[in-house]
Amino acid sequence: MSIPRRLAQAIPTLFIVSLLVFFFMDMIPGDPAQMLAGPGATNEEVASIREFLGLNQPVMTRYGLFIKGLWDPSVATSFRTHRPVAVELAERLPNTLVVAVGGLALGLVVGTISGVVCAMRQGGLAEAAITVLTLAGISMPIYWLGLLCIWLFAVHLGWLPAAGAATPMHFVLPILVVATRPTAMFSRLITANLLEALSKDYLDTARAKGLSETRVIIGHALRNSLVAAVSVAGVQFGGMLGGSVVTETVFGIPGVGRLLVDAVTRADYPVVQYTILMFAIFFVLINLATDLITQWLDPRTRDHGRTA
Amino acid sequence: MEKLRLVRCATVIAAAMMASTALAEPKGVLRVAVGADPATFDPAFNDLPVANGVDLAVMDGLFRLDAKNNIQKNLATDYAWSPDGKVFTVKIKTGRKFSNGDPLDAAAVAASFNRLLDEKVGSIYRGLYASLGQAKAVGDDTVEFHLSEPNGHVLMLLANTAASIVNVKAVASMGAEYGRKPVGSGPYMVEKFVGGESFRLVPNPNYAGDFPATLKAIEYTVVPEDGARMALLETGEADVVERVPPESMDAINALKDAKVINPPSMFSINMELVLRGPLQDVRVRKALNMALDREGMTKGILGGLGTPSVGMVGPGTQDELRRTFAPIPFDPEGAKKLLAEAGYKPGSLTLTMTCPMGRYIKDAQVCQALAGSFEAIGVKATANVVDRGTWSKVVGLDPAARTDNMGMVGRATAGMDYTLYRLFKTGVGANRTGYSNPKVDELLAEGRSTTDLAKQKEIYGEIQKIIWDDAPFVFLWYQTQALGVANKVQGLEVQPNETLVFDKVTLK
Repeated sequence: MSIPRRLAQAIPTLFIVSLLVFFFMDMIPGDPAQMLAGPGATNEEVASIREFLGLNQPVMTRYGLFIKGLWDPSVATSFRTHRPVAVELAERLPNTLVVAVGGLALGLVVGTISGVVCAMRQGGLAEAAITVLTLAGISMPIYWLGLLCIWLFAVHLGWLPAAGAATPMHFVLPILVVATRPTAMFSRLITANLLEALSKDYLDTARAKGLSETRVIIGHALRNSLVAAVSVAGVQFGGMLGGSVVTETVFGIPGVGRLLVDAVTRADYPVVQYTILMFAIFFVLINLATDLITQWLDPRTRDHGRTA
Repeated sequence: MEKLRLVRCATVIAAAMMASTALAEPKGVLRVAVGADPATFDPAFNDLPVANGVDLAVMDGLFRLDAKNNIQKNLATDYAWSPDGKVFTVKIKTGRKFSNGDPLDAAAVAASFNRLLDEKVGSIYRGLYASLGQAKAVGDDTVEFHLSEPNGHVLMLLANTAASIVNVKAVASMGAEYGRKPVGSGPYMVEKFVGGESFRLVPNPNYAGDFPATLKAIEYTVVPEDGARMALLETGEADVVERVPPESMDAINALKDAKVINPPSMFSINMELVLRGPLQDVRVRKALNMALDREGMTKGILGGLGTPSVGMVGPGTQDELRRTFAPIPFDPEGAKKLLAEAGYKPGSLTLTMTCPMGRYIKDAQVCQALAGSFEAIGVKATANVVDRGTWSKVVGLDPAARTDNMGMVGRATAGMDYTLYRLFKTGVGANRTGYSNPKVDELLAEGRSTTDLAKQKEIYGEIQKIIWDDAPFVFLWYQTQALGVANKVQGLEVQPNETLVFDKVTLK
């Protein structure tokens, strides 16, 4: 299916998301004007701030402004900083992406290697060790692991900075911590798929051609196992954007996740609404990207696309 | 030999003294790790203590508060009220400049106040400052405030960082960016601001006031997670960490080169009652007050970060007007008797309370403990622990619209008039208990219009006594601050409203 057509199909999805974020935000308890004014404010002061924020306008007008803000950033400004939400997001997004992409890439590489090792050395000590570690990686809450890593690498060993985002070194710990889950997932997935593929006839054909065992595994078996890994990677990447809320709080990284949490606790509606909408757009794009990569890896899906 | 040592000693002392007189040159970089992320330094919109500290360092007010919340003159040299109390005149220092070189004259001061009071600007403090009326520049060195009502507490208002002098020309050209790099006339200026991560203050070369910069830079890092923030002090990546949680105090005090300091806080934490039904009876309110072991709770739950209340307003709320009373005794038996007198059998009274989570020290746990204490005197109490949005909505409702019986609220304001007038005057839109006492109303009006300190002292003393006896709140405690400070940091002061004061800070 063509890319433009896929993108066009996403528009109704995004429209529904825009309705949901806008009206849910309106429904959840909390009054931005009341929060800005503080507990000591009089009703009149709160009312005047509400008027200033434009919260007294009819709901459809406000929704119209919300949609207008998508191409006119001057309409979409934060209640707290008065800066355009687009500017706030642009400033924070790189940090979130560095951690998410870094964590995913590291997880994919380490997970694939350990997965291959596991599949080839079934019953060995390496397999046992990797199995235990992957189990731990899947089960460990990121929040707790993050604090443990800060204690070990920053406080105890003094190798890395504890929190902040001033230098590239500050990103090492968050990426390592974020990578644990995808590493564990990929490792398990690759092992299972490889074991299944290793018993297939086409590998015997490859061996019969005189290819070395390594080339048989890397060039033939692994390529097929990666198809499943790619779709999992897409889901994982989306999960990491959501999980950035936790990682960024623990490590003090100014990313989109923390921007969102702060905005929710302070009832900064525009920031919450546009951030969630942006996440939704990301999910659509990630799904598109996963599909395209899968097609490239697995010619069968391409054929299906053509005949359909 | 002995003599030689003496001589050497004297030289060292002399050198040290020379060094201290030559201190005018700023040196050293102070690194501060804070928990809250300041969204803006614009004093018209900022509501965080972290940014109050920055505003105090970066901007000048006509007046300012010292570390004990006493009013000091800053830009002002003199002030006077007109005989009818309607015009307040301030003389200011001349020849001062903003950090960008713009002149800081009377016109600039008046423009700054008129911006704060402008409805179109939408400042969150417009209501608080509404009584200032209008500011007018007379010549270069005089500002007149044409008050909308006589207000004997103008000094307190002007000393607050919300009244810092903003360069209105710079605001016009910078827009919302002004909130990140405000142009002021204070000893420091914001050199760098990375949203949500860090900001850096450096000395303002144009500063000509009485509180010159002592540090080459002040570097802030924003780390919301308590554990990670404490780790920065342990690894030596920060010299000051804000908001040490009770459970980390021992670990920090055990460090070789840092310790916890506990400055008092004006944050007065109370269960503010909704005066309806059974709570209209003062005996019931007193019984609830007597049911609590405040000493035990502050030690056991708050880890010592609280002092049982001895008056509604906290320490540092204009101490010259503040009055304190004997602590409320922990007397469950007496409480039961009072309830019986009021006609409530054990178990016949049911109350619900609304509590925030993560707003005040151990707030949710405190509420559970309060419910238990009320249970012990035969009052069924339910603690509704809710998110911040719901909490601020509920405690901001008019008493008639409330469905609960009390809400946990902390109050920290620099002014006696501000606190008492808003909370206890009949019909004021911030009076959330529904408290109404004609005597108090009369005294509050009188206290607001008088400019005589002795008279104010008498009036506010009486109001505080009536409030304490009427018990419209279940009085709890004043929070205590806890900051981790490296031993090399000297002279750091903290105002009771959690604002850091860098006037005298040096690094050893």
